[in-house]
Amino acid sequence: MASTLRLYLTCIRNTLEAAMCLQNFPCQEVERHNKPEVELKTSPELLLNPVLICRNEAEKCLIETSINSIRISLKVKQADELENILAKKFLRFLSMRAEAFQVLRRKPVQGYDISFLITNYHCEELQKQKLIDFIVQFMEDIDKEISELKMSVSTRGRLVATEFLKQF
Amino acid sequence: MAEAEKFMGSDNVEDILTKIENKSLKIESLIKPYKPIEAIKTALEGYPPQDEQCKFANWIGVRKALMAIKDVVGILRSLNPQYYDILMKYVYRGLSTGDRTTCDQCLKIHEKLTEKAGFGCILRSLADTVNTI
Repeated sequence: MASTLRLYLTCIRNTLEAAMCLQNFPCQEVERHNKPEVELKTSPELLLNPVLICRNEAEKCLIETSINSIRISLKVKQADELENILAKKFLRFLSMRAEAFQVLRRKPVQGYDISFLITNYHCEELQKQKLIDFIVQFMEDIDKEISELKMSVSTRGRLVATEFLKQF
Repeated sequence: MAEAEKFMGSDNVEDILTKIENKSLKIESLIKPYKPIEAIKTALEGYPPQDEQCKFANWIGVRKALMAIKDVVGILRSLNPQYYDILMKYVYRGLSTGDRTTCDQCLKIHEKLTEKAGFGCILRSLADTVNTI
């Protein structure tokens, strides 16, 4: 189990390492505009093949690259209803504060839980290696966070139930 | 360049599907007596044409060869470097299926192949929009 996680993260790291080759590219359609081409998808010559890396049926990662931007969408593991709700709430909390993260997208791509949008400007200001480390670390930490949240919800539920039922 | 890569040069879809099926049978016959290297070499020969059916039929055959690999490092050592790019494309196709066993195997192959072939191999598989599998 742990070995597939390691392989999955290595695969994503290697793919990002290769795919994150971004350069400034002004918009071809509208002059004096500079837009992330991966979001618009107007010119096919500016886009690379999107790559879907699945660890299993529940967890996957979609990496779409273009000349000046890269979009990474993640679907995290959700084993039951409670994890589903916790993941949704937690990732929505993060997405709402996307300004602070800089590379986070405000809305995840359809079919995924959270999305990152990295442009050439981010690559100029921030180090490419550190960006990749951040994304891989994020993926590791998300699983831990959701497990912790689930455990704390279960513990609280058990305590509350015990206290309440003491009176009977 | 695209013409040179065309599979067998035939235009008839049925003909191509038959040829792909024959190739699949040949791959199976090489896997049984445990000759995974030859199986992989047969599987990686040529690109399927742009038709979805042909691509799917071709993928089924290649998947059999990929799942039969036990010693990834050994296979890559004996495989001709010209096949690395095509193998990487098939590995990504395997990773996109979502099936647990296929993904496990493809993740193993991906790690070793990246160590052997480098990041250029990954980038060529991303950038090649003409010869897709």
